[in-house]
Amino acid sequence: MNGISEPSGARWRATDPRTLVAHCAWMGAPLGSLALTAAAAGGRPDARAWITLGVLAAVCAGITGAGLVTWRRTRYRVTADSLELRSGLFTRRVRAIPLHRIRNVDLTAGPVQRLLGLTVLRAGTGGGGAGLKLEALSRPAAERLRAELLARAGSAGAPDPVLSVGDPRWLRYAPLTFWVFGGVFAAAGAVWRVLDGMGVKPWKIGFVRRAAEDFGNSALWLTIPLALLAITALGAAGAVVLYAENWARFRLEWADAATLRVRHGLFTTRAVSIERARLRGVALREPLLLRAGGGATVRAVAGGLGNREENRKRSVILPPAPRAEALRVCEGVFGAGRAGALLPHPRVALRRRVVRGLVWCVLPVGAALAVTGALFAPVLLGCAAAWAVAGTAAVGALARDAYRSLGHAVRGRHLVLRSGTFTRETVTLDRSAVLAWTFTDTPFSRRAGVVTATAAVAAGEEAYRVRDMAAAEAPRFAEAVTPGVLAEFLAV
Amino acid sequence: MTGQQIGLRPPRHRVDPRARRWWAAQAWLAVSGPALLSAAVLLALSALFFPGALPWLAPLTAVVLVLPALGYALAMPALRYRVHAWEVGEAAVYAASGWFRHKRRIAPLSRVQTVDTVRGPLQRRYGLATVTVTTASTAGDVKIAGLSDADAALLAERIGDAARRIPGDAE
Repeated sequence: MNGISEPSGARWRATDPRTLVAHCAWMGAPLGSLALTAAAAGGRPDARAWITLGVLAAVCAGITGAGLVTWRRTRYRVTADSLELRSGLFTRRVRAIPLHRIRNVDLTAGPVQRLLGLTVLRAGTGGGGAGLKLEALSRPAAERLRAELLARAGSAGAPDPVLSVGDPRWLRYAPLTFWVFGGVFAAAGAVWRVLDGMGVKPWKIGFVRRAAEDFGNSALWLTIPLALLAITALGAAGAVVLYAENWARFRLEWADAATLRVRHGLFTTRAVSIERARLRGVALREPLLLRAGGGATVRAVAGGLGNREENRKRSVILPPAPRAEALRVCEGVFGAGRAGALLPHPRVALRRRVVRGLVWCVLPVGAALAVTGALFAPVLLGCAAAWAVAGTAAVGALARDAYRSLGHAVRGRHLVLRSGTFTRETVTLDRSAVLAWTFTDTPFSRRAGVVTATAAVAAGEEAYRVRDMAAAEAPRFAEAVTPGVLAEFLAV
Repeated sequence: MTGQQIGLRPPRHRVDPRARRWWAAQAWLAVSGPALLSAAVLLALSALFFPGALPWLAPLTAVVLVLPALGYALAMPALRYRVHAWEVGEAAVYAASGWFRHKRRIAPLSRVQTVDTVRGPLQRRYGLATVTVTTASTAGDVKIAGLSDADAALLAERIGDAARRIPGDAE
């Protein structure tokens, strides 16, 4: 022991005493069945039950006693250069692994341990089984120790292979997904199809029709919002259930230096492995609702995940989760840090978004309402006016948001693109992954002096667009991304 | 307001002039012909059975079907011919296409995977061919349509040569 290590770091530390309770967890099943038998026998345990109970108590005492001794003898410490674990009931063992050999530090917890707030820490050296396992640490202590170990593992050590582990608190993002409404309609559609298949006409069932009639006769100004509220609540509950089933036990890690692995699923475990060599980038996705809730998801931009549809499903490497977690995953998977300040697009892009919203959304609906109103029902004229005002305001807000989202930049060996308002997507691509460039413009965009540049990549969505760049700048940007490809075609 | 021009010069070689006739034929066969035919049928049926509808149906058909169909068939080939061009440079192949939406695509020769030459039945009548240079990404395939047979062969050969000469990382 030399003087470099701090005194507190070299102190022997105890594991968490709650582990003694965890050791007795196995008794839950026999005790439960015993209680059930006793309850079935009329609440009066017979002699056999008493004997079993006695045996159980003795075993429990024995285990707890042994556990207590073990616990008191189990101590660990982090010295200047190694992690040491002293343990053993009859044989005393001291095990030490040099800090610089530690390649990964895993935290896991079984259901009982989770209930007790305990965590098992495994420090692995990357090779075979020669790791070190600390049975019971309180969760904060485990987090601290992991951070400490990884920090001291030094520059020689590989980064933590576990990039992200699911957290039940992420469930709060589930209602912020499309499934809130989509799920309800999908479920209703499925029920309808089943009934239809059985030859049942749902609207001929008595109570359905009565309910519909009652609904029609009720105070609509009250019942329609209530019905919407009920659908939303149902959808939110469904979304939470779907999220829980799909993303429970989520774990994203480097299985080895060359393979990224994602595992998740409650009943069905889904696992996807992505080769590092085929990982071309990451996409941070923030759908409107999720963004409003401070969440984001992450997709890998990778080849070899199947066709477009399969790729979309299998490339998700982080479910809806806090944005900070998403950024951490982007960093851990691809070294893609915060998007930071991206180069903005010309101001005319904002005008184009406003015009597009007005022409394709506000105008047609408003015109249809106004024409029908003028011809048949004057009340629709009011609706048209209200639509025009509200629609214009909404288009303005969305267009400003879409414009703010636009951005692009070259960051070292990466290319960063951001766009979208309904789903804002920040894509970080390996510059060397860009196979070809396409510049697209229409008479309108030519007049505005903007062009859409598309980077072709043999991964993910294949085409990644930088919308509405300044026309004069776009080829230079592309040349900066892939030097030498466009130089000979640049206008002088 | 007029914006800035795109910072790329057009590719050096135009496609074959006969491509205009090919595009026109395509337009008549696939778009304008059927549109005009349906307009004629519609008006004939209307004249036979609902003569009262003609006063408003005739202008409507003219605006929605006849004028766009004629405009497309007459203007599109010329517009396309002004845009379509190609060039095989030192390091990349460059092609421009489109009539309304212009598309310029540049793919480095080092990323070229295959060069396909296709002659459709209609194209053969005009002695034309389409050369498609594929890369590993579907969004990176360079398609040069309306080349003369000779140009197509030459282009395929040059791209093949260049792709062999340049150490490839066709991924």
